[in-house]
Amino acid sequence: MTRNYMLRKAALTLPFAGALLVGYSTARTTPSDPPQLGAQIVAQGTTGGAVACARCHGFDGQADGSGAFPKLAGQFPQYLAKQLRAYASGARQNALMQPIARGLKDAEIDSVAQYYASLRPSTLPSRPAAAQLVARGEQLAKVGDLNLRVQACESCHGPNGQGEPPAVPSLAGQYGHYIAAQIQVFRQGLRKSQQMQDPAHELREQDIAAVAAYFEQASRSTTK
Amino acid sequence: MAQTLKEVDVVVIGIGFAGSILAKELAATGLKVVGLERGHSRHSVPDFQAPAIHDELKYSVRKGMMQDVTREAMTFRNQHREVALPMRQWEAFLPGTGLGGCGVHWNGQIWRYQVADFIYKSHIEQRYGKKFVDPDLRIQDWGVTYQELEPYYDRFEYLLGASGKAGNLNGKIEQGGNPLEAPRSREYPNPPLKEQYAGALFRKAASDLGYHPFLQPAANMTRPYTNPEGLTLNPCVYCGFCERYGCEHFAKASPQTVILPVLMKNPNFELRTESQVLRINLDSSEKKATGVNYMDAQGREFEQPAGLVLLTAFALNDVRMLLLSGIGEPYDPVTEKGVVGRNYAYQTQSYVPTFLKEDIHLNSFMAAGASGTVIDDFSVDNFDHSALGFIGGCYVLCGSTNARPIEFHPTPPGTPRWGREWKEAVRRHYNHTAVFNLSGTSTASRWNYLDLDPTYRDAWGLPLLRMTFDFPENDLRMSRYVTNKASEIARRMGATAVVDQPRTGPFTTTAYQSTHNTGGAIMGSDPATSVVNRYCQTWNVPNVFVVGACNYPQNSSYNPTGTLGALIYWTADALKSRYLKRPGPLV
Repeated sequence: MTRNYMLRKAALTLPFAGALLVGYSTARTTPSDPPQLGAQIVAQGTTGGAVACARCHGFDGQADGSGAFPKLAGQFPQYLAKQLRAYASGARQNALMQPIARGLKDAEIDSVAQYYASLRPSTLPSRPAAAQLVARGEQLAKVGDLNLRVQACESCHGPNGQGEPPAVPSLAGQYGHYIAAQIQVFRQGLRKSQQMQDPAHELREQDIAAVAAYFEQASRSTTK
Repeated sequence: MAQTLKEVDVVVIGIGFAGSILAKELAATGLKVVGLERGHSRHSVPDFQAPAIHDELKYSVRKGMMQDVTREAMTFRNQHREVALPMRQWEAFLPGTGLGGCGVHWNGQIWRYQVADFIYKSHIEQRYGKKFVDPDLRIQDWGVTYQELEPYYDRFEYLLGASGKAGNLNGKIEQGGNPLEAPRSREYPNPPLKEQYAGALFRKAASDLGYHPFLQPAANMTRPYTNPEGLTLNPCVYCGFCERYGCEHFAKASPQTVILPVLMKNPNFELRTESQVLRINLDSSEKKATGVNYMDAQGREFEQPAGLVLLTAFALNDVRMLLLSGIGEPYDPVTEKGVVGRNYAYQTQSYVPTFLKEDIHLNSFMAAGASGTVIDDFSVDNFDHSALGFIGGCYVLCGSTNARPIEFHPTPPGTPRWGREWKEAVRRHYNHTAVFNLSGTSTASRWNYLDLDPTYRDAWGLPLLRMTFDFPENDLRMSRYVTNKASEIARRMGATAVVDQPRTGPFTTTAYQSTHNTGGAIMGSDPATSVVNRYCQTWNVPNVFVVGACNYPQNSSYNPTGTLGALIYWTADALKSRYLKRPGPLV
């Protein structure tokens, strides 16, 4: 991990740069020792009203395979925590997640995020997809499309969609159904991101299916 | 022998901001327009693709987007008695090449000039008397006023999606903007960029000293923005690869992001890249252009007849093309006769590296091209010069455009240039050094000018442009004064060390300063002292218009692109509303 990489992580939370670096490194480098509090919440939920995360996302962070719920294993902790807070505030709208996020205290959000971040991303085989669809997805992901004025997804999401911590989530190996649904949600304005707003509008239906299929079969393992 | 092509209505030489906007406006009226671009075609997708576009060695060190110096260089000397020698690599300034021109790899600093800039001679004489300026200086009025250009500044800023906060709305001072700016008719289309940490520290120190800090206006998007041409841009991600790079995010205003897609869809327009224009052809009267001759990438020469020729090929190339084509009389500094090449000016840059304590983490790598907090208190004539013995000034900017590993490793004075101690100093100061950038006026002088070199030629056998330039004493005095003021701000920030680096002479071409080359084909109201009239139309050949920073009679404190944008739309308007109806001299 390069020095520049470390600095970039520190970047978004300037006053606490030092503290964040320490916390983050811990989460990333000791996967065999997941945060105890986080593990407990994932397994049992909280007395504050949050149901066990594992019910939908799995204790291993692989979710249930339906694609309705995202894989969380290995996702960046700052990103996961930010999403939970966005659900709680309503900035990101989701009827299932909002009451759960509101049932978590601030420290519990960080613990849950660190727990899932500490798990290894999936190495399970992805759902089969038409080669042509994946090829079109790869083109959009790596090159973009001048006619649609859509930039390459990987300009922000990194090579093979491995992500750019702390702000930009990893997409590699995520369920295609989930990725496609999120693009639709961005398009409808239920989830807000200035970066995603225009691409979500420009992509055609078949393009959304294509990038979703591409990132589902993309693997983070080679880049870790 | 050149092959003669079918005549078109308009030929445009150089497709950057000026060329693409003018071509778009004229093609929309139904005229057949051909755009000749010497460089390659290139577009945001796929040519500016990450991660390849973030190649610091290729683009910053080896100047991947700049004019090919092995084919077209220029020669340089400080004094007109010296023999000029060719530049073998670009360092002090970086003329770009390729579709979109410098608009592809600029930082996006988008400024308006002051009211006083456009009436500089009248203003200075009125405020300080006729004998105030050094005798060798040659300041002039532009022949066009700020008030006339205001609607065109506005149009350009909305095309580009400029981000900023107005400080003066129709004469009313606005909180949060630059209270010293010339009045603008409406707010910026987008809010300002985020403030960097160094900028926030600067803001506090500058405010404490009674100055008026604000966030620099930028052509880097701060939110999704659809411009009046219907093109949507995305918000900047502060990646720190703006200047010298293309933007992969559709987040920096460039011809590719704000105008070219619309132009390219118009069947009245034809783009020919890798087409090197050799000269503008004149008829036997030498008062009318008949078209241009150019050479394509296969070395075939063509004559392209046209009714109207627009020269929009960057300031230095514009002047050279006029000289190669025999349009206007070349300037002679001894007799002061002739106009083409006269009043070449530049930008008087200086820097104040400000070394801060190790517990202050600046994270300067998080940057947009035009990031920065700035004061305008010492720009142009925003302060009283009567007791100072010079004219002009600088804005003082604290911000970073990047902290890229090859180029950015500030160390305090006394640090060895290599070895263990140097490495330790780089580690200590990399994330704890703010660099102030002072962008200053460049006052035109009798002895600074451009002409054709008598000895050296380009790959097509044509004489190179020769630059004769040194900083006038006036500008060095100005730089000392303002740089000293900036150092006071740096010390107020609690710096552990401040390096006061005012600009000193002689001008050298071996260290980067600025690509704000101005003048040489200046505008004005008198054909004896200007090349083009107030509509950027050449006095001698009314069907040739030249639009570029070469039109500026002297350079202001600010980056020139905003004012160039105003001149582009001002000229487009004059062409459409007057020239096309009745071709001929507009003045």
